[in-house]
Amino acid sequence: MREPNAVDFWRGIALITIFINHIPGNVFQNYTYSQYGISDAAELFVFLAGWSIGIATRGRDGVPEPAGRTVLRLLSRMVEVYRAQLVITAMALAMLAGAALYLDNPLLVEWHNAGPIFSDPIQATVGWVTLLHQLGFFNILPLYVVLLGLAPAFVLLSRVHLGLAVGLSALLYAVSLVFEINIPSWPVEGHWFFNPLCWQLLLVLGFAAHEWRRSSERFLAWRRRLMPLGIVIVIVGAVLSWFNLRPDPLAVPEPRLLFIFDKSYLSPARLVHFLGVMLAFQAVFGLIQPRARWLTRQLAGLGRNSLAVFSVGSVASLGAQLIRFWTGGGFATDVFVVGCGLASLSFTAWFVEWRSRSPRPSSAA
Amino acid sequence: MALSLSPSLLGGVSLALVSGLALSVQAQSTTPPPAQSQPAQVQPAQSQTAPSQPAPSQPAPSQPAPSQPALAEIPALQATAPGPDAPDPSLSPECRVPGSKLYTLAKLKAVKKALREHRAVQVLTIGSNSGGLGTAATYPVRLEDALTRSLPDIEVTVESRGVSGEIAFGAAERLRNQVAEIEPDLVVWQVGGNDALARVDIEDFSQSLAETVAWIKSHGIDVVLVDPQYTASLAKDDYYRQFVQAIQKVAEHEQVPLVQRYEAMRYLAGRAISALKGGDTAQSGAGFRLADLGYRCMAEHVTRAITVSLLQPDVAPVSKASPVPAN
Repeated sequence: MREPNAVDFWRGIALITIFINHIPGNVFQNYTYSQYGISDAAELFVFLAGWSIGIATRGRDGVPEPAGRTVLRLLSRMVEVYRAQLVITAMALAMLAGAALYLDNPLLVEWHNAGPIFSDPIQATVGWVTLLHQLGFFNILPLYVVLLGLAPAFVLLSRVHLGLAVGLSALLYAVSLVFEINIPSWPVEGHWFFNPLCWQLLLVLGFAAHEWRRSSERFLAWRRRLMPLGIVIVIVGAVLSWFNLRPDPLAVPEPRLLFIFDKSYLSPARLVHFLGVMLAFQAVFGLIQPRARWLTRQLAGLGRNSLAVFSVGSVASLGAQLIRFWTGGGFATDVFVVGCGLASLSFTAWFVEWRSRSPRPSSAA
Repeated sequence: MALSLSPSLLGGVSLALVSGLALSVQAQSTTPPPAQSQPAQVQPAQSQTAPSQPAPSQPAPSQPAPSQPALAEIPALQATAPGPDAPDPSLSPECRVPGSKLYTLAKLKAVKKALREHRAVQVLTIGSNSGGLGTAATYPVRLEDALTRSLPDIEVTVESRGVSGEIAFGAAERLRNQVAEIEPDLVVWQVGGNDALARVDIEDFSQSLAETVAWIKSHGIDVVLVDPQYTASLAKDDYYRQFVQAIQKVAEHEQVPLVQRYEAMRYLAGRAISALKGGDTAQSGAGFRLADLGYRCMAEHVTRAITVSLLQPDVAPVSKASPVPAN
């Protein structure tokens, strides 16, 4: 297994943050960084996914792997993520239905947009399997599926010209924002919670940042120089978030998505805030690692196995929500459910790596 | 034009609105309404009639409405004015609940303005779109049908959006963006389900809800709130009851109509139990059937709250159909 590095470390932080924030109302939620800024862990997760694509599509010697191999690699990852999404959604539905039966509470089958799957199963089954119907909090992997589908185009284009790939990505982002283009949800009216046409920019930026870091001294110099700007952005974001200040979406000029704070479309304010966070915290891993080796090992372990950890985290956070509902919540419950959840994330990371180390009889057969 | 002339699902009593909400009320009847109901004089015994605010050049409230259309006229509104404590006969039998258990009323200025201007009314529903198991139409479609029947000369379009997450943690923000995207005249918001299940702090929830409702209203958009469902297993859950009451308080404070789904379903559940005449009331699945009934009735119940709210006078302060009995 690779040594702890900044990417895995931050991805571990993002995974824990997402897990805790997906148990709304729990006491630890107030201590995640999402509460102190305009952007949140979702941006971090997608940006780092792009960065990882940069790492994965080059050999150990740093030479880009053949195009066909890159395409197959990304598409097979897409299939893997899609499979994970189906599995965790099916588990979530069974958990909601099971809890509804056990607690004799029909409200639970309505939770997190699950209602149509039970009340309108013919359409909704098509909907959730095609990712057009997403449960609340189970909407990041569908985004990731589409991003991985788009990724080969950007990666191959970047081999012609990296600036061209970023430019095209930015153009797609801008057009989607201005014309409010998003993938529709179905059978329920509305749109995807995470608009892939906008969020792809963050993936491409993550990929490009990795490429620039390898090849450009100027990128590294500017990254250091802009750190104070990043700190200012983080402070401004914290103040806006603390006082709940944000533009009024009915008062801003058209095209309004350019001006409001909107998660679905990754509005520019969120993007700028996130880039500020990246600049401000770029040196943190180097400071923490020598001082807290156990912690960095744990977090990097989560990050290395992000898909499995994310999947278990999604199911665990729903379980935690059901337990909080059943028991009525409270500090002790929160400590218990979050503690168990974190332990299960850590176990998952260990287990996946143990399994990949151990000989598997089934594959030998 | 000024009269409700055709029998409708909401029939029973028809109440025609002319400009300034001058109205005529027909005698309440349990028999089907006549095919061509004529404008009738106001019945003194009628328990709830909306006061009028006559415009100059408009007829006196109790007079039969003129047959010629007037420019400033509100199109015919098909609604009844039931007694608050008797099951509302205009509702279909399975959904029949007294007005006092079904809604608290407030003015709907934006919708009324749209009616006066004879333009289409755009409604945005927020929350579940279930119309009940095995029903042909979803709730938004049923709501559009029911509103179109009640406002026969007006085009009503209903758009719907689900909401992921909790009002207290970001969902209110997304809701603002959805409202800005659609810019409706009226938002019908099934509120609180996610927050109640997540057991968020009731204060935090109330504050977010009040802020969001105030924001929607500040942009000249009407709001109707629909509180969460009743189910027997939560009947003794103090948190849940307080939660429902918190929504009532916000509706009252912000002066928006509230569809008391919790109260209405509790009433329907009680009726179902008494119908069993001491049989096995705890039969399995009863809660699920009630929840299903709740969805079947929601479009009717919401329509009822809207049409009766439209009868609210423009000048008088917010009023309730009747005092809501304490739990």
